[in-house]
Amino acid sequence: MKKLILASALSLCSINAFAEVAVIVNAGNANALDADTIKKIYLGKAKSFGDGTKVNPVNQDGTAAADEFNDKVVGKSGSQLNAYWSKLVFTGKGTPPEKLGSDQAVIDFVAANADAIGYVDSAKVSGNVKVVATF
Amino acid sequence: MKKLSVAVALCAALATNYASAEVRINGFASIVGGKSLDSDSTLYGYDDDISFKNESVFALQLSADLMEKLTATAQIVARGENDFDAEFEWAYVTYELSDELQISAGKMRVPFYRYSDFIDVGYAYRWVRPPQSVYSIPFSTYEGLSLLHNTQLGDWDSTVQVMYGSFDGEIDAITEKTQAELNDFAGINWTLAYDWFSVRAAYLIAESSFALDGTDPSGAALNGLEAALRANSLNTLADDIAINEDDSSFFGFGFSIDYDNFLFDAEYTQFEVENSILTEQTQYYASVGYRLDDVIVHFTYEDNDDKHDASRFDPIAAVPSLNAAINGALTGVQAQSNVYTIGARYDFHPSAAFKIDFSRFEDDVTDTETDVVAVGVDLVF
Repeated sequence: MKKLILASALSLCSINAFAEVAVIVNAGNANALDADTIKKIYLGKAKSFGDGTKVNPVNQDGTAAADEFNDKVVGKSGSQLNAYWSKLVFTGKGTPPEKLGSDQAVIDFVAANADAIGYVDSAKVSGNVKVVATF
Repeated sequence: MKKLSVAVALCAALATNYASAEVRINGFASIVGGKSLDSDSTLYGYDDDISFKNESVFALQLSADLMEKLTATAQIVARGENDFDAEFEWAYVTYELSDELQISAGKMRVPFYRYSDFIDVGYAYRWVRPPQSVYSIPFSTYEGLSLLHNTQLGDWDSTVQVMYGSFDGEIDAITEKTQAELNDFAGINWTLAYDWFSVRAAYLIAESSFALDGTDPSGAALNGLEAALRANSLNTLADDIAINEDDSSFFGFGFSIDYDNFLFDAEYTQFEVENSILTEQTQYYASVGYRLDDVIVHFTYEDNDDKHDASRFDPIAAVPSLNAAINGALTGVQAQSNVYTIGARYDFHPSAAFKIDFSRFEDDVTDTETDVVAVGVDLVF
């Protein structure tokens, strides 16, 4: 058993400790989301789910999942995203998604809020959340 | 100033009533050091002694959701050129009418240019300062209303802003301490953006009145000329010198490309205060850049041309002395210049960038050149 854990830990390290990023919503959320809509939500361009519920997105701060998500889904580097949001924040045109510090904090937030959307390392998904897409 | 105290009081009062009212604090800063490479000319406020004060800026923004869909925002900016005296540059309340439509009231930025709204946020653009030939209007705020409409047109994001209000304050135009008043200040601008391409057009009008500082030599000369014309009952000519309730208009057009690490930006602007000593002004810049991971290198060319129409000259040939004085005044405010800037930006941290710009300003009227080098760090937090 110990050996197996060690082996899996090593194998995770060798692929940069990261497999896939999973986009999650509350288990009670029935809306379908495609990659383009998720990108628009995280750029502040889409503000509601398909059923009209106001969307409440959360980001991660400086984690591997954040780097992966920004790169694969949003298509911008951390610096470019900061520049993008600074144009909106300091002109009253938008507020960036709140940042949480870990996968677990995002899962807890999404499980507790019916209007929430977040992303986590797909290996960490647990509890009362629903995966709507993986990248 | 007063308006902001109201906004802050309002938000403080509401924050105590609503346990959920949350105040967000954001900020930005630029620390810029620079100098002119010429001993006898200044540019962008720099002479040949290194200054770290002239273009440095610190700012804090406080924003509170007062209740659902209602937000109060204040931005306090301290500029080195004003000895870091903190001033409220934005102070407004926004109400979200729908996902696509919001209305704001208070003190806000005048949306003249593509970068107007975030002109102080150095982190948001690649230069140390946006091209000054274009970004030349010597005031940037107004008090009034702004209606903002965001929508998607197919794959395009459309943003339309309509504004109405007024401006009243001291500006550096002709004299350093000119008292300016702009009334019925109205404008519309429209931005269309598609992934790597965006295009923007803006049109603004106002009724402008400027009182020149009589202790300044240029102000005294122009005030004297106006008085002499009135004394001779040449009121129409006097009105053509004075800036008094004159119709003013501004037009701007710009676009930007960010494609596969290749960057291109251009803006053209045109500004006029009719029947006044102020010239009709046309400016543009074109800028290319290339992004190599965390580094952007860029080159920018700017052009400024301020001139009076030939028909404005020799209005009263029968009175040579006044005629010469008018011609002299009209000539005196004309300007023609170019600027070349080469620079680089390095994103050494997700919230901080290092920049270096070298600019050469060529004055075609005096046939002189001035070089300025500036290095800086821009932060957002």
